Amino acid sequence: MSGSATTGDAHALRDPGIPHATLDREADYLHAEHTLRSWFFTTDHKRIAILYLASITAFFVIGAVTAGLVRLALVVPDGQVFTNDTYNKLFTIHGVVMVWFFLIPSIPATFGNFLIPLMIGARDLAFPKLNLASWYVFMTGAFFTLVSVVLGGVDTGWTFYTPLSTAFSNTWVVPALIGVTVVGFSSILTGLNFVVTIHTMRAPGMTWFRLPIFVWTHYATSLIFLLATPVITLALVLLILERAFHIGVFDPAYGGDPVLFQHLFWFYSHPAVYIMVLPGMGVISEIVPAFARKKLFGYKFVAYAAIGLASVTFFVWGHHMFVNGQSDLASLAFSVLSFAVAVPSAVKVYNWTATIHKGSLRLDTPMLYAMGYIGLFVLGGLTGLYLATLAINQHVHATYFVVAHFHYIMVGGTVLAFLGGLHFWWPKFTGRMYVESWGRISAFLIFIGFNVTFFPQFILGYLGMPRRYHVYPPEFQFLNILSSAGSTILAVGYIFPMVYLVYSIWFGKRAPANPWDARGLEWTVASPPPAHNFLTEPKAPEIPYDYPIQASETQRHHS
Amino acid sequence: MSAPGTSEVGVRLAGHFATVEQQRRAAVLGMWAWLLTELLLFAGLFLTVLVLRLLHPEAVQEAARHLKFWIGATNTVVLIASSLTMSGAIQLSRLGWQRGMVRCMLATAALGTLFLALKGYEYHADYEEHLMPFLGDRPYALDRLPASRLFINLYYAATGLHALHLFTGIAILLVLTRQASRPGFLAAHQNRIEIYGLYWHFIDLIWIMAFPVLYVLNR
Repeated sequence: MSGSATTGDAHALRDPGIPHATLDREADYLHAEHTLRSWFFTTDHKRIAILYLASITAFFVIGAVTAGLVRLALVVPDGQVFTNDTYNKLFTIHGVVMVWFFLIPSIPATFGNFLIPLMIGARDLAFPKLNLASWYVFMTGAFFTLVSVVLGGVDTGWTFYTPLSTAFSNTWVVPALIGVTVVGFSSILTGLNFVVTIHTMRAPGMTWFRLPIFVWTHYATSLIFLLATPVITLALVLLILERAFHIGVFDPAYGGDPVLFQHLFWFYSHPAVYIMVLPGMGVISEIVPAFARKKLFGYKFVAYAAIGLASVTFFVWGHHMFVNGQSDLASLAFSVLSFAVAVPSAVKVYNWTATIHKGSLRLDTPMLYAMGYIGLFVLGGLTGLYLATLAINQHVHATYFVVAHFHYIMVGGTVLAFLGGLHFWWPKFTGRMYVESWGRISAFLIFIGFNVTFFPQFILGYLGMPRRYHVYPPEFQFLNILSSAGSTILAVGYIFPMVYLVYSIWFGKRAPANPWDARGLEWTVASPPPAHNFLTEPKAPEIPYDYPIQASETQRHHS
Repeated sequence: MSAPGTSEVGVRLAGHFATVEQQRRAAVLGMWAWLLTELLLFAGLFLTVLVLRLLHPEAVQEAARHLKFWIGATNTVVLIASSLTMSGAIQLSRLGWQRGMVRCMLATAALGTLFLALKGYEYHADYEEHLMPFLGDRPYALDRLPASRLFINLYYAATGLHALHLFTGIAILLVLTRQASRPGFLAAHQNRIEIYGLYWHFIDLIWIMAFPVLYVLNR
């Protein structure tokens, strides 16, 4: 009986005849303690990641149900399913919850929290208490937002544009604004922790260019957290003051400017797109080499592309205001800069593709999600170039073309990466394997369901269907029904993993330390990892992604 | 091994760090990262004020003339003096002169409180002069200039946000002073004084930006 985990204390109420429960292996972070207190007051980055995972899954369900109701309303063209007010509130809740309570924390707060210390060979993040505090801040923000929903909802859209949000909306805007403002601080604290951890906590020998790309992309994301989030905090605080005291900052009658809000809002919210996308790119950069059995192609380019994206993204916010009276010169500059985003994005896509090229492919569930991600991200990215073109933007601005574009990035990109990563690291998180065939089936269902849902929206938008209306010309009904039908397939694809993953926690096969034969320090520790991560001093690998198949670049390097 | 009258100086290693040096670096970098975030928060606000000044120069100038320049200037001196005493506390903490350090910290908190008192007096004077346009039921002195209303409101937002930071800073400083006056503090947590000092200097720096943007530039 190695590593018995019994406490050895005599419990007064226990029948002494029954032996204590024992664990047939070293106690891991899940079994180190069992009380509720040991979860809600934990400072272990792995447990905090699990707290986040449970919370954001709950928000994902809320966001998904409201999306389903929106799609239900759009089955008929005459807007008879809900009242106008209800419809406005539904898509607002969907947007607010999905963006701020699922997508932004999704990969960083869960996988990032769990994996960054393991990947760099550290015992924890630099500030474990701050890490726990960030979760409580997150839940406080979520509380305010849910209060606004329970009281009667918000109808401004997730963007809270003025003057609708300041002068016209009669809904619970202020609690929702407080919720979103507060949640921003949890992002800031997470980003701060990551930046400091990556700078100072790397194991001996873990130099910057030996770090997994996942760590690089999280570093880039954290910089955005730190530099962009405070600006939206300010914008939302001004909006609250405007609504509560009519200070006039967004009101032309007092010399303010409603478009100023859009500038402040998008100064954060465009970089926020990369908060959502970059961590996903990190996940894909881990999965693709592992399942192609091949060294990541162009490691340094992929790493620099993450920093490049995080930098360029601060200078493109004006492309959200091409038709809002922005000067032609400014629009031209923002258009050119937006095109520049395509360069680092393409660097990543080409390098993943080159990694797959002549690799020894295994099409397991994580790889299916990764390949889906690459395809959908390319479509989402290319349509982004259409939107960045001034002339085309005039035509498709605020139509379903935009909706389809950002769902290809947010769902086709981030959600697929999230699910891919969840399947990839699930054995590490829980110590259990899920049933592979179910994983593959749901990966296919999600890919098909997603495309059936959102591809028709490109056509709808191009034909002129505006976003945020539930009354539309009858000739658009076929494509809308197609889209709604697709969303039911997508829903089934989401429900499957929730069932078989949860099932696997109790009934799944025990996972070995490295079920995928993947590289990276997180695979050198047991599944699930011990409470303090490393039982022996971690040794940084000399070459990152040292898989059996080497690309020609390294062979050239030796000559 | 410390000289008479001084205490040992150092940092106690927390479990998840490998070395004390690593722990110190992490703490300093963490505070700088936080200050970077704070800087962007205030930057957005100052930017809004400056945009307004470009759009409505006359109204902003007229409104700025009603700000209490000399109270603002005195407060600038008060805060710079408090940064001096804070620097003194940091230097003394490095030397292990605990009593002197605690006195410097108390002086810093006192100067910070003086700033808030003067600011409160200034707000009171503004109230008397009917310069609180955000109070809907109170007449506003510069009603003929609508854009002045926004400038004055932003003045309250910016100085209020700064005062909030200062208030929080004083509260933390007092708690820290209490901890720091206990024997053995400097041997275990000397770097807390340095980290806190960064924050205090930052609040000072924000005022040094707010004062010209609000009071001086528009005169």
